[in-house]
Amino acid sequence: MKNCDQFRDLIEAYALGALDPEDRAAVEAHLATGCADCAKAVEEARWLVCQLAYTAPEAAPSDMLKGRLMQTVRAEAQSQAKPHVIPGKSVVPFWLWAGVAALLVFSIYSAWNTRRLIGEIREANERAAALNIERQKIEEQLADAKRQATIMMDPASHKIALWGEHAHPETLEAKWHSQLGVCIMGEKVPMPSANHVLQVWFIPKKEGAPPMPSAMVRPDANGKLMLYVSAPPESMDNTKAIAITEEPAGGSGWPTTPILWSGNVT
Amino acid sequence: MFLAAFTSSGPREVSPDATLLLRLLHKDVSAFEQLYDRHSRLVYGLVLRILQQASTSEEVVQDVFLQLWRNADQYDAARGPFVPWLCTMARNRALDHLRLKSERQRRREDQPEELPSVIVAPDYEKALDEKRRAERVRALMASLTPQQKKAIELAYFEGLSHSEIAAALKEPLGTVKSWIRNGLLRLKEGLQATT
Repeated sequence: MKNCDQFRDLIEAYALGALDPEDRAAVEAHLATGCADCAKAVEEARWLVCQLAYTAPEAAPSDMLKGRLMQTVRAEAQSQAKPHVIPGKSVVPFWLWAGVAALLVFSIYSAWNTRRLIGEIREANERAAALNIERQKIEEQLADAKRQATIMMDPASHKIALWGEHAHPETLEAKWHSQLGVCIMGEKVPMPSANHVLQVWFIPKKEGAPPMPSAMVRPDANGKLMLYVSAPPESMDNTKAIAITEEPAGGSGWPTTPILWSGNVT
Repeated sequence: MFLAAFTSSGPREVSPDATLLLRLLHKDVSAFEQLYDRHSRLVYGLVLRILQQASTSEEVVQDVFLQLWRNADQYDAARGPFVPWLCTMARNRALDHLRLKSERQRRREDQPEELPSVIVAPDYEKALDEKRRAERVRALMASLTPQQKKAIELAYFEGLSHSEIAAALKEPLGTVKSWIRNGLLRLKEGLQATT
């Protein structure tokens, strides 16, 4: 009890909140030990201190304060009277969320599918363009073949024998159609050197005029040669002869090797 | 917990406040208004005495009554009377306001803001109406020595500690402690004698 006695003098001031920090800490430490007598004394002292509120002169707050309070309280009471909505949960029904989700998935799929279709259409267009080019090439080849056949068959075509020079005894034959061009053909034609081609030259009648370079060809593996010149000189009358030389691949602007075959046009 | 106030046997009768507080638990706006009408003058007078400024005092009183409205379930009617609990909440709020503008804030920095614990009435306490109780307390305070009264008022209404009161009154610390303790004991004896 002696221990309690030293705190009993502080109990009223403790309830009043007037103790300095050290004294307050000491009282609280003692109360924390579970002293029932002192705890009861503190409760009584608190009640006693509360009576001091009556010593303050009573005063009436403004009517506006009561108005504000009642407005707030009524609003809160009404909001609590409404159907309780669980915080964090949406008032939007589940089926609507499901619909939105399905629409979202469908939109994403549609966008992806559209992009895929656009890609496929672009690839199809590219394939169609390539096929068109191929078709045009085939048509041109077919037209050339028709022109060559016409040149070969038409009696109006002028036949020119191209005699081999030096070690080329084989004779080639050219047919010149005044409108369709010149065809040159032969068999057992020796293969030119690697990276070389056989190039056709049109030799003008005019004295001192340079030979006109023309088409190039390599015979096939069997030595068969077929060459079509679609754009020979405009007039056979101005052409003295046709000659063939071996030239580097890509052709030359001027003959660089001896003539292998040649034949007079007239 | 709350219903215990109506079922416990004892000399104390069920007070009007207990009935109103029970209705307040069910968010009865009318009960709240009646509680406000019964106690707002006492609460406002106390807060105004502490803060000495009408507008700030009304803010604090509004906070106190809104706290009561929103947290009525935290008041345990079975353990103590309502008015001391309400006044303790109002005093704590007002002193907190006062300390925000004061260097004395350090004294309660470590105390979290919370509702006051229940104020238990002593055995000698009898139910009295507020008017009679106020008259009796004021009369007893008037009977104290001026120094006792001054020291207690500085502690209660301004939240000063023993040493702060000693400094304010330029009196020895031990003397101030005696004034406060003896004044409160005399007040207690007076209340016991007249109930």
